[in-house]
Amino acid sequence: MASKISENRHRFKLALDTWAVILALALALMVRAGIFKKIPW
Amino acid sequence: MATSIAVSRFESDQSPLQALQIVPGILLLALVGYAGKFLEKFLNTYAKAHHWTFPNIEYVLWAILIGLVISNVLTMPKIFQSGIATYEFWLKVGIVLLGSRFVLADVLKLGGISLALVVVEISLSLLLMHFLGRAFKLPPKLTSLLAVGSSICGVSAIIAAKGAIDADDEDSTFAISAILALGALALFTFPLIGHGLHLSDNVFGLWAGLGVDNTAEATATGALYSDAAGKIAVLAKTARNAMIGFVVLAYAIYWAKRGQAGAVTNKAAFLWNKFPKFVLGFLLISLLVSFHTFTKDQVASLGNLSKWAFLLTFAGVGLRTNLREMSKQGLRPFVVGALGEVLIAALTFGLVLGANRIWGL
Repeated sequence: MASKISENRHRFKLALDTWAVILALALALMVRAGIFKKIPW
Repeated sequence: MATSIAVSRFESDQSPLQALQIVPGILLLALVGYAGKFLEKFLNTYAKAHHWTFPNIEYVLWAILIGLVISNVLTMPKIFQSGIATYEFWLKVGIVLLGSRFVLADVLKLGGISLALVVVEISLSLLLMHFLGRAFKLPPKLTSLLAVGSSICGVSAIIAAKGAIDADDEDSTFAISAILALGALALFTFPLIGHGLHLSDNVFGLWAGLGVDNTAEATATGALYSDAAGKIAVLAKTARNAMIGFVVLAYAIYWAKRGQAGAVTNKAAFLWNKFPKFVLGFLLISLLVSFHTFTKDQVASLGNLSKWAFLLTFAGVGLRTNLREMSKQGLRPFVVGALGEVLIAALTFGLVLGANRIWGL
């Protein structure tokens, strides 16, 4: 049972690269939706 | 020890409690990065108010220098280490968001030129590093790792190749230390040469993207020259990163045929597994911007978000560079790496000047 859970967890594990893309796209979506109005620099 | 500094990587499968351990390090990255930004602004304002002639030192350099001082003068408490290792994650977030500053036509033009130069650069760099490795009698797998690291993308490529060719931990530590030390040197020498030769932003950015190995250092080197050069350096480096799977696959097959690494059963899965996904994210954002999905202000906001992500990366470059640990790694791999890097820098410079003459960058 435990090994099955760990196997499932492994199957859904995403690479760091993919998480970076997900976060960047989520931020872009929030800017598009107007949640972040203006990001200053 | 060097491995723990150079290769300490942020894992994505941590439990929520473990994930909290990265918070102090991320806060330190933000603090160092912001201190760099503050120093740039403060010194410029102060110099102007007092009519001083003071060179404009970019926040990029300040952030790296503050990080270098902290990591080399003080002993870094363990609590910060896993968070500092996230600088690579922020680098990738920044690259994807930087896609907003390129319309697809630019990506196709400059990316196409970069890709053509990358193919030539990779082929010549691989040949050169193998020649030097043989001349200096380095172990063959260490030579393979140095060749992959210096021809494609530094640490990520070495880590990808290490698993694929079953290289020793010691060899990969040597290769990573050499590549990181040389990247740190490139950070300071490339912009000096560029300014000395009055290179344009496009030419310098392309040269930094092709000639500097590690993605973080290539991005910082370009940004140290100018904002526009930083943008082009990231594009050229991204084209180079896209080739990682093909080169690592070729090495994996080569070492498997010699019976010194596991066989590659599914080549397509291998390529997909090694392909840097942030390249796709970068292209997707660029595509969305090209189709006017975002307003002008929103594009500016995305560009600024990318700069904030890079700010954490630049702080991380300084904080993870421990010169004492690097010096313990032995001279031979470093000499081979240094010789190779100087020749590759000269070669890529020639390639970029040639491309500039043909395509007018």
